[in-house]
Amino acid sequence: MAKDIISVKDLRVWFQVRRGFIESILSEEQKFVKAVDGVTFTIKEREIFCLVGESGCGKTTTGKAILRLVEPTGGEVAYFGPGKEDMMKEMVDVALAKDNIDEDQAERIMERGGISIRALNKKRMKSMRQKLQIIFQDPYESLNPKQSIYDIVAEPLVVNGIGANEAEREERVTKALNDAGLRPPKNFMWRYPHEVSGGQRQRVGVAGALVLDPDFLVADEPVSMLDVSIRSEILKLMLDLREHKGLSFLFITHDLGVAYVFSDRIAVMYLGKIVEMGPTERVIKNSQHPYTKALISVVPTPDPKDREDKIILKGERPDPSDVPPGCRFHPRCPSVMDICRSEEPKSVFVSPGHSVSCHLLTMQ
Amino acid sequence: MALLEVEGLRTYFKTQEGTLKAVDGVDFTLEKGHAMGLAGESGCGKTTAALSIMKLLPANGYIAGGKINFMGQDMARVTGEKLRAIRWRDISIVFQGAMNALNPVKRVGEQIAEPILLHEDVDKEVANKRVKELFELVGLNPNRVREYPHEFSGGMRQRVMIAMALACKPRLVIADEPTTALDVMIQAQILELMKTLQRELELAMIIISHDLSVLAETCETLCIMYAGKIVERADSVEVFRNPQHPYTQGLIAAFPNVKGERTMPGAIAGNPPNMIAVKPGCRFADRCSLTKDICLNEEPPLIEVLPNHYAACHVVKPR
Ligand SMILES: Nc1ncnc2c1ncn2[C@@H]1O[C@H](COP(=O)(O)OP(=O)(O)OP(=O)(O)O)[C@@H](O)[C@H]1O
Ligand SMILES: Nc1ncnc2c1ncn2[C@@H]1O[C@H](COP(=O)(O)OP(=O)(O)OP(=O)(O)O)[C@@H](O)[C@H]1O
Ligand code: SF4
Ligand code: SF4
Ligand SMILES: [Mg+2]
Ligand SMILES: [Mg+2]
Repeated sequence: MAKDIISVKDLRVWFQVRRGFIESILSEEQKFVKAVDGVTFTIKEREIFCLVGESGCGKTTTGKAILRLVEPTGGEVAYFGPGKEDMMKEMVDVALAKDNIDEDQAERIMERGGISIRALNKKRMKSMRQKLQIIFQDPYESLNPKQSIYDIVAEPLVVNGIGANEAEREERVTKALNDAGLRPPKNFMWRYPHEVSGGQRQRVGVAGALVLDPDFLVADEPVSMLDVSIRSEILKLMLDLREHKGLSFLFITHDLGVAYVFSDRIAVMYLGKIVEMGPTERVIKNSQHPYTKALISVVPTPDPKDREDKIILKGERPDPSDVPPGCRFHPRCPSVMDICRSEEPKSVFVSPGHSVSCHLLTMQ
Repeated sequence: MALLEVEGLRTYFKTQEGTLKAVDGVDFTLEKGHAMGLAGESGCGKTTAALSIMKLLPANGYIAGGKINFMGQDMARVTGEKLRAIRWRDISIVFQGAMNALNPVKRVGEQIAEPILLHEDVDKEVANKRVKELFELVGLNPNRVREYPHEFSGGMRQRVMIAMALACKPRLVIADEPTTALDVMIQAQILELMKTLQRELELAMIIISHDLSVLAETCETLCIMYAGKIVERADSVEVFRNPQHPYTQGLIAAFPNVKGERTMPGAIAGNPPNMIAVKPGCRFADRCSLTKDICLNEEPPLIEVLPNHYAACHVVKPR
């Protein structure tokens, strides 16, 4: 069985709600935007793990928190991927030297543990970042229009002080552009973002993430802004990277069609929590959670036959600073029961690897 | 008589590099109360076609040829008072990305009342009453007319834009990418609203989207555009079941379908052509897998290849 690369346990990211002066005098209680509110999953080596859900449900925040681009409020993120041993050994040696742990403990840590990303100091986090990279949501906003493609892709090398000289850096940039499918690289390097097509711009984002030779990529809506005709080109590129470079992916999208054809496993998020998770085929074709069912039912489809039983939910994105009690989906759920208003449903397995959090599945 | 007949429409832009032929010979007809979809890749001329019908082209754009016959008037030629009488009253448009362009310091209700006061001889009270009715019509709470745009979510702002387009009770509404920035549940709500409005108000609609399945859900007919031309036109269901043009086939194959087989969608390699220096022959030739000699020399005309099903491709013969 494939090994884990990233494990996320009870991850929470709460943002403080800014209050006006008067408000802060009147009320003692600090309010939080609970963007991510207890999320647990693991991603295996060479796996494409997909997070789906409505706008604002916390997908991007989850991805960023894994890389500590936002600091988690609670929970654990552990890394088990390549290079883990060396990094662990170094840390265990330091702890041993300080007599913080004994030989026995050191051995056990080396055997079982992953590297706790949240516990890393600045220096170690920097080297960890090279293994974990992100492709940002918007290819139009995330590329500096004044920088050449070479400078954009080389930037992570400069920031991390990698590459002894310009020649070495150029070699790495060339390789990254090539791996991202911008071939031949020398035709693209000296152009500016506005001088390439939308699909190519997205590839520049991919090259920037590949230049540090990562093992794990967070791809945040990498194809949503692209025309369908070039979408599958980028998706195939990612499949290629997994095949040839052994990359693993956290793939974020609100497009269920893309998630369906492309991922190995899917987690459906609602208001900061995962409500259903499992192998892609099962989650899409045999969904159990009322929210998942609704999401799938409303995906536009060409065949009129497929449109008969749409479940269009009322209301819009719920407010993460005011999470409903009980099941957080209850105000919009078509199957809501009394218990749902007061008790939070626990996650249960409905088949191997397929878990769902809904009272319907535990009632008999 | 059809509500709208577009014949040989050409709309060009003057640019530094030369004349950009954004729309280069487009024909279609739209019956009263019908919805037509316009699909195609970014830059193929969808918005330009819509702006031509509304006569709202930017300063460097102009109608270089063709007819736009709307209720007996040639829109390509009307100007002044006459144009003003039609625009917004008989035809209106929901602009691409407009929900992000509402005036942030003006109450939403006032912004909807504006076109009513401008185009109709009514007083403020009547206009405000109409605004409340419009709010109700598009599923917004009429008590919120005095709020500002930032107090509305994306989906609600799109409803506001639709209300604004309906303000003067037009016969034809053009909606340019009405759901593109919205996520799937809100998209479903807006599409449902548009279908209901079309039915209840007997509205004709032209819906523009790069997402074919959105159009399949809302429109009776579908036009596929490529590089300034319509390459296929037929009933929406027919386009999906029986696409004739290689480009349409490629577009459909590029769509992952959650309700279908789990297979990797196809890609259409290459990029659309430069529309300033248009090469002779079929515009799709350098991306097409069926290209023959004739394709490089002669432009294929849009012809009826099956009953009520039009395609512009040398390989597709009438049957
Ligand atoms: N820095 C921040 N401060 C306060 N609130 C934030 C911050 N970042 C995100 N949020 C809030 O957290 C919630 C989750 O945001 P996030 O960007 O993770 O959503 P998402 O699922 O990626 O949505 P989308 O599909 O629109 O990208 C939202 O309500 C958002 O407004
Ligand atoms: N004001 C302008 N001046 C010059 N060229 C323009 C202007 N507006 C649009 N164009 C060009 O005309 C062509 C058609 O543009 P249009 O906006 O109609 O495309 P579209 O099909 O609506 O694309 P999208 O799906 O990206 O909205 C494009 O090549 C575009 O770059
Ligand atoms: S727990 Fe209750 S409210 Fe929540 S999804 Fe299940 S049935 Fe609906
Ligand atoms: S005319 Fe020729 S190049 Fe154009 S779509 Fe048909 S076969 Fe392809
Ligand atoms: Mg996001
Ligand atoms: Mg457009």
